[in-house]
Amino acid sequence: MTTTPLLEAIGLSKSFPGVKALDGVNLRLAPGSVHALLGENGAGKSTLIKALTGVHRPDAGSIVVAGREQRFADPAAARAAGIGVVHQERNVIRSFTVGENIVMERMPRSAGRIDWSKVRGEAAACLALLDVDLDPATPITELSSAQMQLVEIARALYTETRVLLLDEPTASISGAESDRLFRVVDRLRDDGRAVLFVSHKLEEVYAHCDTVTVLRDGESVLESQPLAEHAHDEIVDTMVGRSLGSLTVPTRSAPRDVAPALELDGVTTTAGHHDVSLAVRPGEILGLYGLVGAGRTELAHAIVGLERITAGELRIDGSPARIRSVRQALQRHRLGYVTENRKEEGVFLEQSITRNIAVTVWSSLARGTGLVSGRREREVVSRYVDDLDIRISSLNQLAGRLSGGNQQKVSLAKWLAASPRILIIDEPTVGIDLRTKRAFYELIWRLADEGLAILLISSDLAEMITLADRVAVMDRFAITGEVENDHDYDSMSREVIRLIHADADAL
Amino acid sequence: MNRSVSALLRSQSATLIAIVVVGTVLLGIASQGDLFSPVGLRTFFQFLAVPILIGLAQMITVAVGQLNLAVGAIGGVAAALSAVLMADVGVPPLLGALVPLVVGALAGLGNGLLVMLTRINGFIVTLATMTILLGAQYALVGTRTVSASNWEPLAAVGKATVAGIPVIFFAAVAVAVVVALAFRFTLTGRQLLASGDNPEAARLAGISNDRSVVVAHTASGLLCGVAALVSLASLPGVNQSVGGDWLLPSFAAPIIGGVALTGGTVAVLGTVLAATVVRLVDTARAEFQLAPAWVNFVIGAVVLGTVALDRVRQVRAERRRGALRAAGPQNVTPVEATR
Amino acid sequence: MNEPGLLRRFVATPRFVLVVIIVLLVAVLVAVKPSFLNGTFVIAPLLTSIAVFTVVGLAQMMVLSIGHMNIAVGQMAAFGAMVSGITFDLAGWPLVAGIAAGLVAGAAIGALTGWIIARTGVNSFIVTLAMSFALLGLVPTIYSSLSAGSAFTTKPAGFDLLGRGSFADVCLVGWCGPAAIPLIVVPVALVMVLVAVLFTKTRVGRELLLTGASVKAAELSGIPTGRRIVLAHALSGALAALAGILLATSIGSFTPSIGDEFMLQSFVGPILGGTLLAGGYVSVVGTFLGITLTLVIRKGLELFGVGIETLNVLLGVILLVALSADRVREVRLRRGRTPDASGAATPEREEVAA
Repeated sequence: MTTTPLLEAIGLSKSFPGVKALDGVNLRLAPGSVHALLGENGAGKSTLIKALTGVHRPDAGSIVVAGREQRFADPAAARAAGIGVVHQERNVIRSFTVGENIVMERMPRSAGRIDWSKVRGEAAACLALLDVDLDPATPITELSSAQMQLVEIARALYTETRVLLLDEPTASISGAESDRLFRVVDRLRDDGRAVLFVSHKLEEVYAHCDTVTVLRDGESVLESQPLAEHAHDEIVDTMVGRSLGSLTVPTRSAPRDVAPALELDGVTTTAGHHDVSLAVRPGEILGLYGLVGAGRTELAHAIVGLERITAGELRIDGSPARIRSVRQALQRHRLGYVTENRKEEGVFLEQSITRNIAVTVWSSLARGTGLVSGRREREVVSRYVDDLDIRISSLNQLAGRLSGGNQQKVSLAKWLAASPRILIIDEPTVGIDLRTKRAFYELIWRLADEGLAILLISSDLAEMITLADRVAVMDRFAITGEVENDHDYDSMSREVIRLIHADADAL
Repeated sequence: MNRSVSALLRSQSATLIAIVVVGTVLLGIASQGDLFSPVGLRTFFQFLAVPILIGLAQMITVAVGQLNLAVGAIGGVAAALSAVLMADVGVPPLLGALVPLVVGALAGLGNGLLVMLTRINGFIVTLATMTILLGAQYALVGTRTVSASNWEPLAAVGKATVAGIPVIFFAAVAVAVVVALAFRFTLTGRQLLASGDNPEAARLAGISNDRSVVVAHTASGLLCGVAALVSLASLPGVNQSVGGDWLLPSFAAPIIGGVALTGGTVAVLGTVLAATVVRLVDTARAEFQLAPAWVNFVIGAVVLGTVALDRVRQVRAERRRGALRAAGPQNVTPVEATR
Repeated sequence: MNEPGLLRRFVATPRFVLVVIIVLLVAVLVAVKPSFLNGTFVIAPLLTSIAVFTVVGLAQMMVLSIGHMNIAVGQMAAFGAMVSGITFDLAGWPLVAGIAAGLVAGAAIGALTGWIIARTGVNSFIVTLAMSFALLGLVPTIYSSLSAGSAFTTKPAGFDLLGRGSFADVCLVGWCGPAAIPLIVVPVALVMVLVAVLFTKTRVGRELLLTGASVKAAELSGIPTGRRIVLAHALSGALAALAGILLATSIGSFTPSIGDEFMLQSFVGPILGGTLLAGGYVSVVGTFLGITLTLVIRKGLELFGVGIETLNVLLGVILLVALSADRVREVRLRRGRTPDASGAATPEREEVAA
């Protein structure tokens, strides 16, 4: 292979305060190839893509495009160099039509003014090229997320693009839709362009990719290797790393004969869930697995009253419960919800550790007088800071100054301080380092052993198989099945994946 | 084409047109035809020009997700400086007419640059510049009123009518048309909307949000300058009160006209119609000899009602999407995957 | 825990800077114009307006704590004062009852505003702007329909003492207080203490600040954010009403123009004092100092015979400079926190998102 790579990253590093997100990453995209970028959540995949496209400026290392070193000052510079990208998050202008969203980076003009018939025409041509049947005049808000993604791909291909970077394009779309996406990808490869493809679905990766790079904790642990030379298990081991393998999964005997603490029976919600049933017993960890957008977080929201339950029943300790807010969930049922998005929902970044953790106990500390004793508040907080081994310099330190792992511990400590009996934990280990991750796993086991009923939401299958006693699988706002966890990765992952695709294959 | 007609019918504009028509008829009857007399018509349209212009000025800042508290102060200073230059320095009216435009644009540019460079919230920046400009306006005219006799050629334009309707109203409509065309057919116009709608997506698409903010504030200031020029031409004189009552009407017109407060949309026709509705309310107030304060009350209430209603509609739509998903899981793909 | 000393921490705050500036300014004023020290004619009126405007600043600070703003602060003051005026003028209520009625009216209008914001999710700027205009229409109309000269002039017992009395009127065993200190500072000092206690010692105050820091995280931490939003606006309305009533007692009558010049001052005070616009951090003492600074400047300008327009220009400039400092502080707070800095280049949209 002596062809010049279309895009090459050499020793790319990028640090954010407290985190080394990329550490000397190497990557080569050859023309006419589809390259898989794999890694666990938080391994640095999205950061790498952003560093390659001018969103983040790398601290060290170089980016070479078709043999020429480039420094992108902004996303526009990367586009000008022929690099197209579709980020994980949707980036559309909601007040524009499909057509304008496609051509917005280079609006067709004649005599200085925007030529709207050309906008429609060129957008339609672009969509036809992708084999997508959409009217360019449609308002973009009428589209599903998957369709919006196709519009973004069309946008990336509208200008001269030699390299296309796709960040988890199949995470939230159906089988039929991903088939169509892969037809496009195959065509790009045949054209001699390069595609970088991020996915968690290894089957997909093996079916469509030629080469692979694996990131772990910001390092490229497997660099631009032919995919065919690496077996499935080997890739998984590389992604997860041996260090986690040394974690001894305790033999837990989850109680079977106790009445469930939290129970959903045929629940339909305003978020769009239908006929969801599940039960968590005290001392048990029920995993709720599903892909991004499957409706897991929304289900948690429905349980704590942020979405309404329109049919079916939510039962706590066997009796029907109506929860209208997180406060009610906590005060009436001692149910806590550790949110998924810690930066926006889990912690108050610009507030002290004390306030962050004590927020759930103020009502009990202030009972009667409405006054909170600062001393008692600090006592409670110190106890949990010690217990969870949160590394801080002072209780007055702002939570925003902590590392991701410690922030997540603060988010958990907040709920533990309120001594809950039921805990919903949503994506607890996204973007935190392995050591902290293991500490978290041990903590979650301990909490279950202490008798908490835990509903664990995660899109990290390995984590699910390590932690859960049973795994319920959610797809498109419905439960597609439940599996008893035998902690064997191969059989479990096969079973779970089968449940996820059961629905899609029926289409 | 059909699409845009049906879109218009569903939009706020249709409602507003209906209100304007019904209001005009009712008011015409109540005033026993006075509204349609030459004087009635002239007065009605003469005092509609400024509300349209300041509504558009505010609309442009709202479109990029900003706001401009200084509309009145910019207009006031622009008018005052021009008046003083013509009356005291002897600047010829033709040149004097350019002053408000230049002052307005420069003040707007200043706002935009301040927002961009300091990254201070636009509310505070324009609050501060508003105070500064009000001070400047007072320093310029103090307690006196500079008489329009100092710029008679301009005042003549202010009084001129075509087919019984003041020229300045046509000027305001012309400005509205230019604004509409600019947002529809220029790259900058589209970039402003993109920045206002989703700054992150705009940035990823190579659009400079800083530039959008500066352009929007400058354009907004320029329109305030135009409004100042119109005031100069149509008022009997200029004093420190010019611009003093522009703030609420400038927000009322775009909000009632259907502009999303979160940025990303414009509604030129809606803004013009909403300004007309406000003008009708004012005319009705005069007709029934109510205290001028009532107009404020009505506008305030209508603005509250409009934003509240809009929100209710949004929530309903979200609920509907959820219900749809629950009903037909096989056909609907998850909408929000971007968590 | 290795906490820096109380004094060292104070020196590092904007409040310390304010104290230094105020002291220097007063020193300069006294040196150049010894008449500045005239107790009855300079100091007492200055302290009275500091007292009134401190309450105005606290009214704004109350909603700033949750990251909102109250454009209607002046009109709520006018409304509350009007209700007090009506109870004195038409119902003949005693001082305390009438003031209480005005406070309740202010709280009610504030609560209504907060309720609209909480229920609809529309940003506070627009709702309070619309509210200000609704009141701007309502208040003069009621005045003109209920009173002859568009003013309520009945003064219940104690009215003048509160608004215009000084400690010289308070005599104990033959010894009277200084005439330079007006009695109005007493209720205002009390209010400052109450507000400070609210934010530092109580559950509700803490919950207000966390609601300001992040509504989403607050709701998900079990804080009833809707109720807190209503409460913040209700308290803001009540404080605004108090400021309006105090102003009325000091000028001697209730008129529709009460509160006209509250809005700008209400922002300048808290912001100079270090209250974050984005919510989550307030300072009662800072608000007091911020107000004091601007009013000392105003008094100084008056003494030198400089016009009101210069003061306006100066206030605007001070606001911009202070805000740039506020911005720097915010950036410093944020540094070392977001691994994803991608939003940093987007324009500020707080005024809409708030």
